Amino acid sequence: MSADLTTTLVVNGRTVTRTAGAHLSLLRWLRDVADVLDPKYACGEGVCGACAVLVDGEPVSSCIVLAAQVDGARVTTAAGLTGPGGELSPLQRAFHEHHAAQCGFCTPGMLICATAMLADGMTRTRDEIRHELHGNLCRCTGYQQVVDAIEAAQGAAQGAAQGAAQGIPP
Amino acid sequence: MFVEPFRYERAESLSDACARLRDSGGTAKLVAGGQSLLPMMNLGLVELDVLIDVSRVTEARGVVEEEGYLRIGALTRHRDLETDPLVARHQPLLAAAARHVGNARVRNRGTVGGSLAHADPSAELPLAMTCLGAEYELIDGALARVVPAHEFHVSSFTTELADHEVLASVRVPTLGPGWGWGFQEVSRRPGDFAIVAAAALVRTAGGEMVESRVALGGASDRPIRLGAVEASVTGARAEDLEARIGPVEGLDPVTDTNATAEHRRRLARVLAVRVLADACRRADEAA
Ligand code: FES
Ligand code: FES
Repeated sequence: MSADLTTTLVVNGRTVTRTAGAHLSLLRWLRDVADVLDPKYACGEGVCGACAVLVDGEPVSSCIVLAAQVDGARVTTAAGLTGPGGELSPLQRAFHEHHAAQCGFCTPGMLICATAMLADGMTRTRDEIRHELHGNLCRCTGYQQVVDAIEAAQGAAQGAAQGAAQGIPP
Repeated sequence: MFVEPFRYERAESLSDACARLRDSGGTAKLVAGGQSLLPMMNLGLVELDVLIDVSRVTEARGVVEEEGYLRIGALTRHRDLETDPLVARHQPLLAAAARHVGNARVRNRGTVGGSLAHADPSAELPLAMTCLGAEYELIDGALARVVPAHEFHVSSFTTELADHEVLASVRVPTLGPGWGWGFQEVSRRPGDFAIVAAAALVRTAGGEMVESRVALGGASDRPIRLGAVEASVTGARAEDLEARIGPVEGLDPVTDTNATAEHRRRLARVLAVRVLADACRRADEAA
């Protein structure tokens, strides 16, 4: 019975190899084995989004994926959304400016899922943003500020893209 | 809840998974996307000795068009159904059903085969497949057999699959011209399992229904087609449906924390009327 397994993941650009129980979820592997603490455990059922990370650019609930299943993948957590010098991404900045976190427990997952949502470059209405985020639960903010921040971030991204097209520096 | 250790095996192919299942003597479980199994393990509802992972097998992912049907690999993900151009063209009901599954993260990992083999009685894909008259291709490593959706789904979380069999692909008939579809569900919150869900396909001529298929999920221990309703709406127009369709017979709904059996019976009729009306409208638009 080989209960342990060596798994290598590229976490926020850093290659991490660990030998640990093959039964560990990606979330437990990140938190308990690799000391990556920004994804959070709450429901364990894939419903709340507190544990969301990007695996090869796609959002997953890390509580219901085994680390073994994604061996070799690139994993991005909320901490990995910052630029090389540690500067906030436009979405992170919008969360900060719009006060889109209160206790902050849901925030890493919100940032990951909103980043995945905005990746297609579409402009969404507030209702569409709410619908897309139905898999992220927040017990504090009432979601208003979260929607405000995402709305602002998609506007900013678009403004920047237009500016770039016209040669205007951001 | 912490999951107890188990033995983890990675299958190289679906037939390799069959061999491993056989070797385990019935103690192993397959995992693909894991979007049903892993929550159940985290909640302590399932404990296992051996887990055989097919999620990295690439052979069974994707949709291809063949003579008269689409063949959908068991490891095709919900997200693929939502975005696949062949599905959009030939069987848009399936894309609509997939859009109702869980949240974006679930649809990104969860697979067609996983959902069908898990056989939750209120899940969207078993319902859509039953409505469409899909056929499931099962393999045991050597022999293959084909089982229609309505025979595969036996009851709650129970299917025709033998211990060492794997659901490899699904054949979904493509629709000719003149068909429209409808899919609706009622759930407590978006992304939840449906309290009741309904799917319909309708072919019309001159605004009247010539052929129809309608099925419900969440109203019995498995998805069921409503033959009597189908018979009663032949020749009807969308605006006649409300008067034509009486209480739906032959259901066996449960009472649980989401809804009473009585509430499910009412939803069954309401949703059957609505999806047939949607399908009529779409069939008329297509004509
Ligand atoms: S802890 Fe993973 S989705 Fe809630
Ligand atoms: S800020 Fe507290 S849960 Fe969202």
